[in-house]
Amino acid sequence: MKKRVLALTLTFALAASVLAGCGGDKAEETKAPETKAEENKEETQASEGGETQASEGGETQAAASGESKGVIKLGGLAPLTGQYAEYGTGFDIGFHKAIEEINAAGGVNGYTFEIEIEDTQSDPVNSSTMATKFAEDDEVMALLGDFSSSAAKSTVQICDSYGILQLSPTASASDYAAMSPYFFGIMGRQDVEAPFLAKYVLKEYLGVQKIAVIRVDSDWGKSCYDNFIAQADKEDLEVTVETYATGEKDFSSLITKMQAENPDVLVVMDQGDPVADIFNQADAAGWKIKHVALGPGTSEQVVKRLNDKDNLIVTSPFFFDPDDAELTAWAEWFQSEAGFAPTIHPACAYDCVYLIAEAVKTIDGEVTRENLRDALANLPEYTGVTGAIKFEADGDIKRNYMICGIEGGEWKVLEGFEFGAAGF
Amino acid sequence: MMQQAKAFYEKYKVIILIVLAAVLAILPFVIKKTLYIRYLCNIMMYATLAGSLNAINGYSGQFCLGQAGFFAIGAYTGAALAKNFGISFWPLLIVGGLMAALVGFIVSLPTLRLSGIYLSIVTLGASEIIRIIAQTWEPVTGGSMGIKQIPYPEFFGVDMFKPQNYYYIFLGLLILFLFVTNRVLKSRVGRAWMSIREDEIASKSLGVETSRYKSTNFMYGAFWAGVIGVAYAPFVNYIEASQFTTDTGFNVLAMVVLGGQGTLAGPILGSVVVTVLTEALRFLESWRYVIYALLIIFMMWVRPQGLMGASNSMLAGGKIKVKEEKKKGGEAK
Amino acid sequence: MEYILNQLINGICQGSIYALMAIGYSVIVGVVGMVTFTYGEIMMIGAFSSYYIFTGLSNNLPLAILGAFAGSFIIGSIVYKLCYERFFNAPRHISLLCTIGISMLIKNLAQIVFGPDTKPVLNVIDNTTFTLNLFGANLNIRLLQIVVIVLVIVFAVALTLFFNKTKWGVMLRAVSQNKDASYLMGISVKRTALLGNCIGCGFGGIAGILLALYYGSVSATMGASYSTKAFAASVLGGLVDIRFSALGGLCIGIIENMGIIFTSATFRDVFAFAFLILILIIRPQGFVSKKGARV
Repeated sequence: MKKRVLALTLTFALAASVLAGCGGDKAEETKAPETKAEENKEETQASEGGETQASEGGETQAAASGESKGVIKLGGLAPLTGQYAEYGTGFDIGFHKAIEEINAAGGVNGYTFEIEIEDTQSDPVNSSTMATKFAEDDEVMALLGDFSSSAAKSTVQICDSYGILQLSPTASASDYAAMSPYFFGIMGRQDVEAPFLAKYVLKEYLGVQKIAVIRVDSDWGKSCYDNFIAQADKEDLEVTVETYATGEKDFSSLITKMQAENPDVLVVMDQGDPVADIFNQADAAGWKIKHVALGPGTSEQVVKRLNDKDNLIVTSPFFFDPDDAELTAWAEWFQSEAGFAPTIHPACAYDCVYLIAEAVKTIDGEVTRENLRDALANLPEYTGVTGAIKFEADGDIKRNYMICGIEGGEWKVLEGFEFGAAGF
Repeated sequence: MMQQAKAFYEKYKVIILIVLAAVLAILPFVIKKTLYIRYLCNIMMYATLAGSLNAINGYSGQFCLGQAGFFAIGAYTGAALAKNFGISFWPLLIVGGLMAALVGFIVSLPTLRLSGIYLSIVTLGASEIIRIIAQTWEPVTGGSMGIKQIPYPEFFGVDMFKPQNYYYIFLGLLILFLFVTNRVLKSRVGRAWMSIREDEIASKSLGVETSRYKSTNFMYGAFWAGVIGVAYAPFVNYIEASQFTTDTGFNVLAMVVLGGQGTLAGPILGSVVVTVLTEALRFLESWRYVIYALLIIFMMWVRPQGLMGASNSMLAGGKIKVKEEKKKGGEAK
Repeated sequence: MEYILNQLINGICQGSIYALMAIGYSVIVGVVGMVTFTYGEIMMIGAFSSYYIFTGLSNNLPLAILGAFAGSFIIGSIVYKLCYERFFNAPRHISLLCTIGISMLIKNLAQIVFGPDTKPVLNVIDNTTFTLNLFGANLNIRLLQIVVIVLVIVFAVALTLFFNKTKWGVMLRAVSQNKDASYLMGISVKRTALLGNCIGCGFGGIAGILLALYYGSVSATMGASYSTKAFAASVLGGLVDIRFSALGGLCIGIIENMGIIFTSATFRDVFAFAFLILILIIRPQGFVSKKGARV
């Protein structure tokens, strides 16, 4: 009996503490502008050290203490735990890195940036709850995230009704960005990359005829394949396809199945870990065949994990040029911060913050959610670490692609952007 | 103290419940932040789902692990019919529930001969099969693209998108569930379930048709999981197979066991605790679920019968009290 | 035909890993008398132990197997203390929830300690492929597959010998059959159960390293799907019988891979579970033919 009382008391104490937490939140909110301005001041001073340009520092300070105008707060939605923790961690690092850089450079138009990241596990219930949290906070100007299309799509009504934009680094379902005027995505729709793969990589560059495709059974994989097969039919390619569920580890039976078809080339459509796994398992099965991948881009991680590196060709909107000091430094910095090599995902997250900053740059006067959305939609072409970005009318982007391969453990451009310039 | 509280509750039961319902009903007017209303919605939704699992695990002693499957059936039935045929939300609640009950019946068929762990793995397997079918059956479930922009319920022009209004759907369903379940448990059927839980062979010998009642019990639990699934779909607005993994099922199971199996209030309390804990621990970032898991284990050590307890049934776990171990002396078996 | 036989080889290889998992699982269930949902994470710990031996020390397979066994053995004893010891006489769902809690704990801790990314395990065994000509059909068998199958057989035989020939083995079997009676015979039930649980976990660890070798990678979340597979395989074998559990694992592996011949790999788990349910409808106690309710 005593224990039951104890347990119940504990529960109520917990509930009470949460309620108290709510109260506390409100109190903090009212205080927030001052404290944030102070923090911000310290940050700017600390990060810029002796080099601070007095005028800029002063401006920030003035803006901050005058009105609550000095900081632009962003809400980050990322899977920090759970199945996609690898990518969520990448988001976390990418977002913070970009914000540190921007703030260290004195901010944009006198504004500095700040981000609060909430863990959603890329689960729609969590994601929409956290999106509500940010949307209700009047200081938050934009949402960045979520990782999966499934979670990103679930916030549509929230973004519409609160008029807050959501810029997802990686949501890549073909119908994601068109769902709402407030949705933006920079992963690039598959209606360019997949046909590019069919026409330019397979037909023209490699000149192959029989193609075996292994793709992930997700919304992304499906739209990839649908776009791919439409073009492949035009090019008279013979395609056999196999799908696997997300989280699959054993590809040996799929490989045996494909091997029996005796194709000229093996194409894998996936963005994450399975790309390297499939090719490694194909190698292990003693299958000598040309490897082509759609999705991972020129990811460092794929290079690190591949067994037979030099056999892979990918389509990529950008290229980690080893000679480009800035990009190399970025990749190395990421490796040291995260403990693993970067994929395309953190790079996209990094670019997202810069896109917001670019949009802020074009705004005269006070930044509001509404004019930030308009500014982002009308942003002129911006070149980030993931290549050129220019939003289409529906908030998605069309990228240009090149053909990359690996030589001696490093990515090389095999054919540049001009190769596919003729279109379809 | 507990006794007094119980006596007090028994005496003024009706008044207390009415006051409680009234407080819950005016909450959306008092709490201004939509976020907290959303938390309450989540809590009530999971409370009903956990309650439906509790109706199986807690009252007939069958150990179902596949509640996520029934939940998915309801969600997909509701979403697909509303989206493709424009059927109104309210009749769909029943349709989704009946669909889930039908699947529950099919799942219960092999389980009639099974018990314990064998039954658990069948329900777990069934839940996985349902999920994979949802993932691949494109014409109906949208396959891997899922079903998006599911129409909101219509109610005399009230904007149901707002969690403040959706709140009443979940509240209504929770109260309805508790009311109906309470009536059922006090009826002949409920008593038959509980007799099966306590001792199946004995109840059989007393003339209870155990297999029929076990099957009904499964259908009853599945029905409510289906109903709440129908309500879940428009609330999140987008459903896809990956939302119904076994982890969802385990999460709901955790609510039931933490709250106390075999009590009506247990799953509600469990849902409150799980939701509050996972949200309150957010400041820990990636350590959140580590601490959460430790707290779950801690709670099971301190209070294995669940917060509400189930002290007058075999689920109470009273035997493990340390005192008895000591009494036996030395090594307890 | 050639294709079907090649798929069969894949199935046998995967099935033998499942068999090893199922063996470990049924030792745990038999001796402890309770199901566990921590098994996937136990395998993950084994796989990571071997990964760190491969990258840190050398590509020494025996050493890695030893490391995997030891790593999982230690985690097994922690699981035992936290989940089982206290709850032997309690209703089963209590320890079950504890194992779900531990599983969540280990998985999330592993993501923090080992990092959330997938790590490669490559070139431990050469990518040699033998081609066998059988009645005009070319069968491709990989050296890795041979190593995996041989290892599984060796460990299964070793465990059987341990159970039948040693004093501890007999005690474990006694506890598995009847705890009360073994208690009366002077067997320390708790200590034996601890040992049994740890041995079962150790086998899970070895299954983990085989998974890592066979699939070429390890990650903190790798265990989830295999936990239910091991569970299913051991249920198929009647939960407590080692030989039948191994058979159950082998069957599931073959069924899954043969199913892929007809449809896509997305349906892998459908085949596994549908087969399980079908068998349970026909034989409610799995392959084991003994009468009477179990567990």
